[in-house]
Amino acid sequence: MVVSCIMPRWLAHCVVVLAFAALIGLAFARVDSTWNWQGVWAYRAKFLQGFCVTLVVSLSALVVSTLVGGLAAVMLGSRSTLLEAAGRVYVEVIRGTPLLVQLLIGFYVVASAVGLENRYVVGVLVLALFSGAYMAEIFRGGMAAIPQTQRDAARAIGLTPWQSLRLVILPQAVRHVLPAVAGQFVSLVKDSSLLSVIAVSEFTLAAQEVNSFTYSTLESYLPLAVGYLLITLPLSSLSRLLERRFKYEA
Amino acid sequence: MRLQIDGLVQRFGTATVLDGVDLSTPDVEALVFVGPSGGGKSTLLRILAGLDVPVAGSVAFEGERLPREESALRAYRRTVGTVFQSYNLFPHLSGLDNLLLPLVHVHGLTEAEARERVRGPLERFQLAEHIHKRPAELSGGQKQRVAILRALVVQPRRLFLDEPTSALDPEMTAEVLQMIGELKSTGTQFVLVTHEVGFARRVADEVAFIGDGRVLAHGTPGEVIDRCPVPRVHGFFQRILAES
Amino acid sequence: MQGMKSFMRRVTPVLLSVILCLVSASQAPAAPPLRVGMELSYPPFEMTDAQGRPAGVSVRIAEALGRHLGRPAVIENISFDGLIPALKTGKIDCIISSMTATPERSRSIAFSEPYLKTGLALLVGGRSPVQSAADLDVAGRTIAVKKGTTGHQYASTALKHARLLVLDKESAAVLEVVQGKADVFIYDSLSVYQNHKRHADTTRALLRPFRAETWAIGLRPGDGELRDRVNGFLEAFRADGGFDRLGDEFLAEEKAFFREQGIPFYF
Repeated sequence: MVVSCIMPRWLAHCVVVLAFAALIGLAFARVDSTWNWQGVWAYRAKFLQGFCVTLVVSLSALVVSTLVGGLAAVMLGSRSTLLEAAGRVYVEVIRGTPLLVQLLIGFYVVASAVGLENRYVVGVLVLALFSGAYMAEIFRGGMAAIPQTQRDAARAIGLTPWQSLRLVILPQAVRHVLPAVAGQFVSLVKDSSLLSVIAVSEFTLAAQEVNSFTYSTLESYLPLAVGYLLITLPLSSLSRLLERRFKYEA
Repeated sequence: MRLQIDGLVQRFGTATVLDGVDLSTPDVEALVFVGPSGGGKSTLLRILAGLDVPVAGSVAFEGERLPREESALRAYRRTVGTVFQSYNLFPHLSGLDNLLLPLVHVHGLTEAEARERVRGPLERFQLAEHIHKRPAELSGGQKQRVAILRALVVQPRRLFLDEPTSALDPEMTAEVLQMIGELKSTGTQFVLVTHEVGFARRVADEVAFIGDGRVLAHGTPGEVIDRCPVPRVHGFFQRILAES
Repeated sequence: MQGMKSFMRRVTPVLLSVILCLVSASQAPAAPPLRVGMELSYPPFEMTDAQGRPAGVSVRIAEALGRHLGRPAVIENISFDGLIPALKTGKIDCIISSMTATPERSRSIAFSEPYLKTGLALLVGGRSPVQSAADLDVAGRTIAVKKGTTGHQYASTALKHARLLVLDKESAAVLEVVQGKADVFIYDSLSVYQNHKRHADTTRALLRPFRAETWAIGLRPGDGELRDRVNGFLEAFRADGGFDRLGDEFLAEEKAFFREQGIPFYF
């Protein structure tokens, strides 16, 4: 007779996090240096400001990249060869080059040429374009996963292409892509740290500055990790919640 | 319905699936296509249902030719109903929402009117109890019956059913076939593609044997299934009936 | 013939091991390498040559120090604001990276005697109204600095009204000034001079240092013995004319220009 002991999920999560924290704590204890939390605490306003910038930039880029990705996905599936080519070139070039390069060229060359001076706007746009390329592929995959008969059934009922998209295809595609999109959102939040190269005063740069003033590396970067988790964990939880709510598999 | 097909040709890439289909039926209510897999039955049905446009040839119901242009075809599709072998229903909607969708978004009913219209048929076909479930929670037979109902409630001129029971086990097959039989008794016209020869014999007014992209035989069920002079057709049915 | 082959097969591994032992024995006991940290993006002090090897004034100083201590010098290319953490956690033994000995840094690490005098200067954008360091702390001014440098420290403590742009790299900061996105770049006078030469028509250089600084070699606080030996080296090297030779080799043009302008030069 086997007695199985099943832990409640919240308890299991706590156990794992504590074990992980204990491991990290052990590693820290072996590092031979004195802590300087007071020095870092003095810069809390800087941290907070950087955190807010990261939050705003990430969320803005999130929204714009979803729109860009949606548009690119439509172009990729278009029957017009020109539109499809444009979409394909965009996706391949953006996915194939580093975000760093796109930021530097985007801000110092393209934006200057166009007269767009605000580095925050440019940063959000470049980040959105970057993430949008990945979103486009995610959306394409989501749409392709829908059986052809669904499109047939929609046509058979007499729905126009726009109605099919709105009432049949998109609702299903959204459910398929939700996990991948959530992952992309989390990546985007972390990628936003690269905006520091065009002097956007975001969270990571703030931590780096505090580090260079106080020479307390660990004390500067631990709040950074916690801060990013504060943004990414809710995103992941929200995504899992939406997935559960909209599931239509039995 | 009186169906007239002349010289219908359909190609996909380099493959010619329909190679000159000619058919002229009397005024019948239930037309059934039978034949070997890959013979072109489903392709033919899709053209009749207005889903695909043939490469050459024409189709006319009651003397009215099917259009070739997409928006006209869409208007035609709104006057008929089609049921596929599987994945008919929209999985993100409940059964009821599946039924209401075409009524509200295509035929302009209000939601109240639509609910009213589906009430009777739901009772009639014993689906009222399950209709609030999502398709994933329904059995194969229930899903197909709801799909047929969705096609029915828009009050179509005729129904097209493409192997509606081929993906079902025998018990569910029986329940769906029973519903189709009832359709016949209420006077709904339909064109059915099926492998169920026994059912075809019972229900069809006219049977057409489609093979090699052409009509190899057509007539009453008795003429085609039991007494067909064409050796190819006769042999086909002999083999099937020997199995069952 | 067979006998010869099997003999060789048995003897060869033994022979190889003996050779290896002899070779390693002749190199042991090796002195531990002197790991010197610097950021190789600051010509002509810390840079890479065409083959990608470390080169420049600081590299020469490091090599000379290594010879003086009897330890082979190994250059570790680390970004500037990672140098102090690397020193503190023992990844490098000293920092020779044109690092200014500031009071704040002295709280964290120890410094040798200064080996070079310099100061903060301004690279000004062509269309900027800035005429001197006094013009900087004005609302509407944009100041570019390189992260972790004394220019960054100065700007964030002394300039309350201006907008600060913190860049990762010197080249990015210069680009900001050249494109008119920033009024000035606060950096050391030598680099300001060199960058102004490259962008003569889009920038101006205010080379007279508005804040004097000295560079020193960074060391771990507990390493008193090493510190003494490093100071001894610096004294000897200077007495020997080592710094003068480096100045002539790497900074001849700048030396002449600065002397002309009456701006104090380095060594």
